[in-house]
Amino acid sequence: MKTSILTFTLSILLCAGVRAELKWGQQTIDLKPGIGDKTAVAHFKYENVGTTPVHFKSVKASCGCTATQSQKEVVNPKEKGEITATFTIGDRTGLQTKTVTVQTDDPNPAQATTILTLRTNIPTALEIRPTFVYWQQGEEPKLKKIFVKASKDFPAKNITVKSNNDLFTANVTAGSAPGEWNIEVAPKETTRAIGTSLTIQTDYPKDAPKSFYVNAQVTNPPSQNNPANTQVPPLLRRPNTPAGPIAPAMKRPTSPAPASSPAKAATPAAIPSPSTAH
Amino acid sequence: MRALREALILVALAALPAIGEGFYFRDKVSWQSPIPASELVTVDQAKAWGEGAIWVDARPDDEFAKDHVPGAFSLNEDRWNELLPQFLPNWSPDKKVIVYCSAASCNAARDVAKRLRNEAQLKDVFVLQGGWEEWVKTRR
Repeated sequence: MKTSILTFTLSILLCAGVRAELKWGQQTIDLKPGIGDKTAVAHFKYENVGTTPVHFKSVKASCGCTATQSQKEVVNPKEKGEITATFTIGDRTGLQTKTVTVQTDDPNPAQATTILTLRTNIPTALEIRPTFVYWQQGEEPKLKKIFVKASKDFPAKNITVKSNNDLFTANVTAGSAPGEWNIEVAPKETTRAIGTSLTIQTDYPKDAPKSFYVNAQVTNPPSQNNPANTQVPPLLRRPNTPAGPIAPAMKRPTSPAPASSPAKAATPAAIPSPSTAH
Repeated sequence: MRALREALILVALAALPAIGEGFYFRDKVSWQSPIPASELVTVDQAKAWGEGAIWVDARPDDEFAKDHVPGAFSLNEDRWNELLPQFLPNWSPDKKVIVYCSAASCNAARDVAKRLRNEAQLKDVFVLQGGWEEWVKTRR
């Protein structure tokens, strides 16, 4: 019995000893980008603590938004280095988790693949809910409210709102607390499909105020013979309503959509760029 | 009795490296909950919706430019603020929204679907099971 326990223990210890070649400092890094930062960079440090060189076979990010760079292809024993992961924030918000899968030629399969994790919590300067309001064609053009709240780290005192379509009205009223506002928006008519992009501008920072966007739309009527409508009670549909034209796209793309994008066909005019995004 | 004691010792010994392994690889555990089944749609179901569905491609621009589901709109988080206003005029409340990214393992579709539900407050937003990879398989 004693012999079997000893053999078992030794085999486990031996297995554990074989895999410890490339030792990582941290496999998960939490980054805290500031408001308006374009990228967040993580440095994953490693050291070859084994006795043989380690070759990187591949370093792959889980998302096209993350670029990776390894300093070397071969890591000799006792050598140190790092893999840099640059996460492009784009228009992302909130908690983001991206991974980088590193594959080496380590003979131990458990050690050959390492998953590095990059976690970021992208701060939002303004909380806007909802970012889209709509009316169905024929519906009463009632005012709809959009709630706006500045984050603690973004001391905006005032906001302004502007519609890019005169067929919509938009006004700002103060909210129940400092740094809170309500935007009331309504179309002047709901007889046809129309849309607008509302630009919300803050008074902070003074030298470079930030812009945020909200969309409002009078939607096309529900289409007839829509197989996806099987769950919708028939009384809610308007089967005799003729199909309306596609609503003009709300203006605001900065770069043209790829040639094959149907969105491009629906966008009659190109459009000024947003200076900053949240 | 003796056999039971020996078995317990062996189990305890086996548990030690397991605990160590669990601690060593604690960062590799995925804490992200899977997408609820009610928010997923298969390619066949999505196709059956026909024109009652609107397709959203959450992949990066270059992948969308190479190929995409016919009629799909590009809406990724790299250019969310530019692309959302291009997508919304084509949406109507009776349409179901199907979001897809590269494969079952990608998170972009899930994230885009979440923003459409939470920020734009759209209803009937689904994630395509298996993503683009699955769509390509059924296209063959």
